[in-house]
Amino acid sequence: METKKIFCDITKCVGCRACELACAVEHSATRDLFLAILESPRPKKRIDTQFIEKDVFQSIGCQHCDDPPCVEACMASCIHKDKKTGKVDIDTKRCVACWMCIMACPFAAISRKAATENKALKCDLCPERECPACVDSCPTRALYHEARKDWAKREKNKVLIKK
Amino acid sequence: MKDKTFVIIGNSAAGLSCIEAIRENDKDSKIINISQEAHPPYSRCLLSYYLAGAIDKERLWVRSKDYYKDFNVEPLLKTEVASIDEKNKTVKVSGGRTINFDCLLFGAGGSAKKVDLKGIDKKGVFYLRTLDDADRIRAMLKCVKDVAVLGGGLIGLRAAYGLSRQGKKVHVIVKSSHVFSQILDFESADMIRQELVQNGIQIRTGLAAVEILGKEKCEGVLLDDGSRFECQLVIIGKGVSANIDLLKDKVKINEGIIVDDYLRTSQDFIYAAGDVAEGYDVLEGKPSVNAIWPAAVRQGKIAGFNISGQKTIYEGSCRMNSVDFFGIACISFGIVRPQGSEFEELIHGNLSKNIYRKIVLKNNRIVGGILVTDVEKHGVYMHLALQKIDISDIKDILVDEYFDFGKVIPLIKRQKDSFTRPEYQDANSTYTSIF
Ligand SMILES: Cc1cc2nc3c(=O)[nH]c(=O)nc-3n(C[C@H](O)[C@H](O)[C@H](O)COP(=O)(O)OP(=O)(O)OC[C@H]3O[C@@H](n4cnc5c(N)ncnc54)[C@H](O)[C@@H]3O)c2cc1C
Ligand code: SF4
Ligand code: SF4
Repeated sequence: METKKIFCDITKCVGCRACELACAVEHSATRDLFLAILESPRPKKRIDTQFIEKDVFQSIGCQHCDDPPCVEACMASCIHKDKKTGKVDIDTKRCVACWMCIMACPFAAISRKAATENKALKCDLCPERECPACVDSCPTRALYHEARKDWAKREKNKVLIKK
Repeated sequence: MKDKTFVIIGNSAAGLSCIEAIRENDKDSKIINISQEAHPPYSRCLLSYYLAGAIDKERLWVRSKDYYKDFNVEPLLKTEVASIDEKNKTVKVSGGRTINFDCLLFGAGGSAKKVDLKGIDKKGVFYLRTLDDADRIRAMLKCVKDVAVLGGGLIGLRAAYGLSRQGKKVHVIVKSSHVFSQILDFESADMIRQELVQNGIQIRTGLAAVEILGKEKCEGVLLDDGSRFECQLVIIGKGVSANIDLLKDKVKINEGIIVDDYLRTSQDFIYAAGDVAEGYDVLEGKPSVNAIWPAAVRQGKIAGFNISGQKTIYEGSCRMNSVDFFGIACISFGIVRPQGSEFEELIHGNLSKNIYRKIVLKNNRIVGGILVTDVEKHGVYMHLALQKIDISDIKDILVDEYFDFGKVIPLIKRQKDSFTRPEYQDANSTYTSIF
């Protein structure tokens, strides 16, 4: 199975948070930057820009893990890893907001949607788009939507070019 | 073509994940799934939500209607295993049928710990372990105004919370000096207690019930300080004990069934998983019965791989729990109330905002923690603990508000071999190339 997910090239990420904004807008009711800000509850992002050390940042969300701990932990059995695409999805309708998935996720990729209804929330790889919104929005092109082997190839090429 | 017969006892967390793991390797062998309960697979963790009316029955079913057909499994529901004959490799079930097996998974789970209390046989006194229990409680809720919950653990308080949201007046009687004494420290437990009390649930600690009053039906509870109060319903939540009886004198048993790194019992064709098994606890550093859903799923899965010939080592689990009452979330794992000078505690608390973060260290490795309200990073800490990562480099920021997974990236580079999940290397690969 070739799981496609979001990879971040830390050497390119400048921590501008454009991805966070694009993610929140994509998951808003209006899907419009200016209207989304006025929505109540405020739309929530599912990707996080993080400071690693001086001048080094990353953007990270759900890793759609090979062996996802969230799936094993969900006591409502409402998180599944798709056998074909490898994508890990939450069936929000069945979620009971017990936070067992948050308890288990090694990457802190799940958040609580607290404003109106308590539900677990995470990256869904933008099912209605060709390419996830965060990837499209990144001004430095630091984010990639691809499978691990393609990502590894890209990294290898980069090292070759450097040499 | 594989033509073995696997008998799986229990169709809950452990049994189901075992079946699914077997079928990843072996589509043909016969699988028979026995459960004494009449219901299709359901999650017992959701029973308090069902009691509260927060979810309907349909949401308890954690597998599709066609599950047994899809996985090519013969279900024997409403069928009790009467005995297991380990010499002839057979199980005898209620109704008299004897079933041969090549390999057995014992996933019989646990039962509510029974208490010896005067008047316990009166109508209106319940344990909460099965869907039938929950249905019986639901059936009488209409005529109930006051409820007594005996026990301040997860199941007791979840039930109390659920029933209070149904508009019942709930009294919780806790023997220890604070609630959640097994999974929280005093500070965090007190935050949760206050929240429950402010929302109308009565909690009385340091007291025990001595008698259930009434004629035939429960009418009240008498406590050991001589006080009494009225109630029409009593729910007892005094913990769980492993259902080990069927294997008594047949395999090695301690508090639960003792299993090795492959989830095998001392008979190599009998495996055990879930609430009934005593598997390795990584943070305690010794075997322990961790009666929680995620451990049951993991153990069932690893047992299933081994049963179907794919040798897989169980890496061990740890204690973990999550609750959310009135929107205040609280998650904890591992050792939360350390005793001894080898432990170190890092604490950040803001009582007025119900924020609490505590991490317990031993030799600069995380061995436990508690998070209240600000719970999202729980898994980051827990996996650092389970992988025994040396956190000296980030110790000073570990319980900071700004701590996040980004701060772990440099550790992945330095302790590469300890971070076993491939996703850690994905996240780390370009960071490593900076230098
Ligand atoms: C109200 C409640 C709330 C809970 N909340 C949480 C929570 O929030 N988080 C968490 O991690 N855990 C929670 N738990 C614990 C969790 O439900 C268990 O850890 C989990 O169900 C264990 O699964 P299991 O497969 O080991 O066994 P069980 O779920 O106990 O299932 C045992 C199975 O064995 C069958 N069986 C037993 N004896 C026989 C026999 N003699 N013959 C035939 N069949 C038999 C039963 O019918 C059943 O199918 C909760 C439990 C309860 C009751
Ligand atoms: S939510 Fe966490 S555990 Fe689940 S797949 Fe995503 S990164 Fe992995
Ligand atoms: S919060 Fe929702 S998705 Fe997460 S474990 Fe609980 S039920 Fe499953």
